[in-house]
Amino acid sequence: MGRKAQKNDSLPGSLDMLILRTLSLRDLHGYGIVQFIQQSSDNELLVEEGSLYPALQRLELNGWIGGVWGVTSNNRRARIYKITAAGRKQLAVETRQYAKLTLAIARVMGAE
Amino acid sequence: MLRRLRYWIESARRSEELREEMELHLAEKAAELQADGMTAERARAEARRRFGNVGLKHEESREIWITRFWSELGQDVRYGCRTMTANKAFSALAVLSLALGIGANTAIYSFMESILLRSLPVGDPESLVVLNWHSRPPQEGSKEWVHVIHGVQGILWPGDKGAMVSGMFPYGAFETLREENPVFSTLFGYFNGLNHNLAVRGQATSASAEYVTGEYFRGLAVSPAAGRLIDSEDDRPGAAPVAVISFATSQNRFGGPRNAIGQSILVDNIPFTVIGVAPPEFFGVDPAVAPDLYLPLHTNVLVDGAGAARMYGDGNFYWIEMMSRLRPGVSMAQAQAVLAPRFHQWVGTTAKTDGERAKLPALILNPGAEGLGSLRRQYSKPLYVLLAMVGLILAVTCANIANLLLARAAARRREMAVRLSLGAGRFRVVRQLLTESVMLAALGGAFGVLFAIWGVRSLTLLLSNGQENFTLHAELNWSVLGVTAALSVVCGLLFGLAPAIQSTRPDVMPALRNGRGGGSRRRAQHVLVVAQIAISFLILVAAGLFVRTLNKLHSVQLGYARENILLFSLNARQAGHRDPEIATFYTDLRKRFESIPGVSSATLSHASIISAGHAGATYRGTMKIGAITIAGAGVMVAGPRFLTTMQIPILAGREIDERDQPGSTPVAVISERLARTYFGNENPVGRRITFQDEKRDLEIVGVSANLRYGGLKQESPMTVFAAASQFSPDRVTYALRTAGDPLRYVRSVHEIVREADSRIPVTNVITQAAEIDRTISREVTFAKLCTGFAVLALLIACVGLYGTMSYNVARQIGEIGIRMALGAQRGAVVWMVLRRVLLLAAVGLAISVPAALSASQLVKSFLFDTQPNDPGTLALAGVVLLSTAILAGYAPARRASRIDPLAALRHE
Repeated sequence: MGRKAQKNDSLPGSLDMLILRTLSLRDLHGYGIVQFIQQSSDNELLVEEGSLYPALQRLELNGWIGGVWGVTSNNRRARIYKITAAGRKQLAVETRQYAKLTLAIARVMGAE
Repeated sequence: MLRRLRYWIESARRSEELREEMELHLAEKAAELQADGMTAERARAEARRRFGNVGLKHEESREIWITRFWSELGQDVRYGCRTMTANKAFSALAVLSLALGIGANTAIYSFMESILLRSLPVGDPESLVVLNWHSRPPQEGSKEWVHVIHGVQGILWPGDKGAMVSGMFPYGAFETLREENPVFSTLFGYFNGLNHNLAVRGQATSASAEYVTGEYFRGLAVSPAAGRLIDSEDDRPGAAPVAVISFATSQNRFGGPRNAIGQSILVDNIPFTVIGVAPPEFFGVDPAVAPDLYLPLHTNVLVDGAGAARMYGDGNFYWIEMMSRLRPGVSMAQAQAVLAPRFHQWVGTTAKTDGERAKLPALILNPGAEGLGSLRRQYSKPLYVLLAMVGLILAVTCANIANLLLARAAARRREMAVRLSLGAGRFRVVRQLLTESVMLAALGGAFGVLFAIWGVRSLTLLLSNGQENFTLHAELNWSVLGVTAALSVVCGLLFGLAPAIQSTRPDVMPALRNGRGGGSRRRAQHVLVVAQIAISFLILVAAGLFVRTLNKLHSVQLGYARENILLFSLNARQAGHRDPEIATFYTDLRKRFESIPGVSSATLSHASIISAGHAGATYRGTMKIGAITIAGAGVMVAGPRFLTTMQIPILAGREIDERDQPGSTPVAVISERLARTYFGNENPVGRRITFQDEKRDLEIVGVSANLRYGGLKQESPMTVFAAASQFSPDRVTYALRTAGDPLRYVRSVHEIVREADSRIPVTNVITQAAEIDRTISREVTFAKLCTGFAVLALLIACVGLYGTMSYNVARQIGEIGIRMALGAQRGAVVWMVLRRVLLLAAVGLAISVPAALSASQLVKSFLFDTQPNDPGTLALAGVVLLSTAILAGYAPARRASRIDPLAALRHE
């Protein structure tokens, strides 16, 4: 449905999954999501920061996450995102697909 | 979908929020970099660099929630186009029937808009009010006229609860209300001056005049197209006579507004100077009349003669109409509260008896933004009836298309099931189906507008029916087109919704398996067919009633000749002829008309027979035979050979002829009914009738057969013919009995009149037959339109019935095959299908007959000599409906009976 191709350094489509995964652990604002992904991947995964916001809009439009205006830890107004029930379902689907994919790739790479 | 729509609506706010979010991101990033030891400035630049193009990302994010709505709509529209072109026959049929339905509605609505809703083309119409009064009727309780009104010049109309309402006042009331008025900024008066002889550079025509007070144009806030308008200085006794002419008159008679200023004109031979031209869009305050001339009120004394001067001082003569402009901040109710007591006090002084004091008129204010209500009173009810009619047609059309869509939904059931099982949201599929039906409706609406243009034109022609200066002009303006567009969308949703929801029922599996099923759809189809039949019956009954009314009117015994008679009117008094010369002038003209080759006889009367009741100066006073007052007789002022020309049989004595001169014994001819009523079996010839107000005794010289006098719908009243030479009317209508087409003689008539006096225009040239038809133009219009509507509705309902039955037969091929294999006869199969058709029709009728019985009461006032529950009409409508239903059902039934059992079973 006319979805824009994403510029993502790693696997295509994985940014959505990473955001959903992050938000499934705790509610965060945009910058917090970037920080979390970088820190928990030991700075291996660098999120292209600009691509984050279109991705957030798309996820919200699909009803997978919801944003409300709140206050950050250092008392600034920010839009805090939460994962929804539909989002958790989607995360499960994407996790399964991702597992299948990585397994398949591993098989190919491991084949003699 | 809803969320997306909300996003779209709130896009400005969303966009702002997004910007704020990104700003925060950049700020935090910069703060972090700064903590790592960068300078503030470098940190900000670095944060921005890592983020990428902020504007672009912002746009990208916005696009996600805005463009999807439009791109999906685009997809739906493209898909809709494909489906429409794939089913050309279906689409064409749907668009055509919608175009007819929507077009008819648009045409009728544009008439309603122009009559009922449009404001006067003047400044700030909302602050205008019309002054009216209401009172108990003058003849309440007794047959005598008891009321402060002793004379009127204008119209009284019935109000609520038998009250009498009018907009006419005595001049005294106008003066009383005008002085020191705290609630009106201006109060102005006017009255319809009717037609006058307008001569410009020696060329005379008949022109309609409006007499207006000096405050009229200022009160209406109208500015002139050229020159200046009438003001208070012009409207006083003795002022130089000036005139304002309409824009159209300035173009027709002077070749443009500028040329008219300062020109001298003659109104009934009185010289006036043109001082100004009204703006092109201005038509006075009554949409029913568009005056050619506006004259200062007091000039009516010059034009209409000394009799008019008496009107000003007579507190019991009601003639001037009033409008006013409210002061800013004053409401209509406040104004009424202030002025009603003042009027009450004044009108009390004009009452002479206790009977008159008991029913004094009470002042009421009405909104004046739309002008006077004469057109509304005349046309609003017929228009509501027509609107109801076309509304029903549109309902039939919608039901029909819904039906066709349901049938088509059967064909698309697999398609929908595939889409749903592939994960399309049900809402998404419904939305796409609705887009398709709204597209059909929009196309129908577009063609409907074309149809409406034609409809407005032919309806104007039908309604005006040859009337001179017909002022009702409907047009397709933006508000009408807006309503059409809204109507189209609503129709599209209406007929699209049920099939769309039906075909996306979540029971996907059975549909995928065999592509059949759908008992509930069949039920829905049957309901729609029954509804169509019921509505068609309603329209059929209406058409039947109106056609019957028309037939009754056509078969009315006139009692006089209808064909081969030419009528036209002259007004010599307005061209300067005076008594006693005017009588000879008219007599001489009659002789000259009679000498035209092909004219067998010529006569004259004060008006044509059909319009005699409400036109011209007839004698309205009391008539007596001895001491007995004659009740309910009309007077016809007629010239020589009137009965011969009109082919009215002379039963006794003689008709009025050349012997009856101004100086000789006044004579009368009476109709048979009058003779029978007041003279029994005696011979009335030689007896006398007294015209009390004229203090004249008329000798009865003859008895004529009865005739319908003054309208087809009136019972033949008793008629008294008086000699034109002895009563000397101002305006006369000539009647020529001709060989062949009467209109062939018009040229000779014009020549003769021009020779006699070129200042006299010949007006109202028409054949007697056309004149009579004009009085029943509404009935003719209704009968023609409703017959058309009924045929249309019936046709559409038949298509619906045919479609439904064909679909049913197709579904039952297997069952029919088995029956035939088991030995069912063809006749039995045909009957099986037809039985269902008849059942549907019977259910439709059962619903519709009570509805028709109550609805027809609403049109009772439109009927003549026909009961609203006329059993003949109901039965005929029923028979027509049933036979067309059988006709529509016969083709599918026949097809069913031709089914080859073997093929059918194999098919299963």
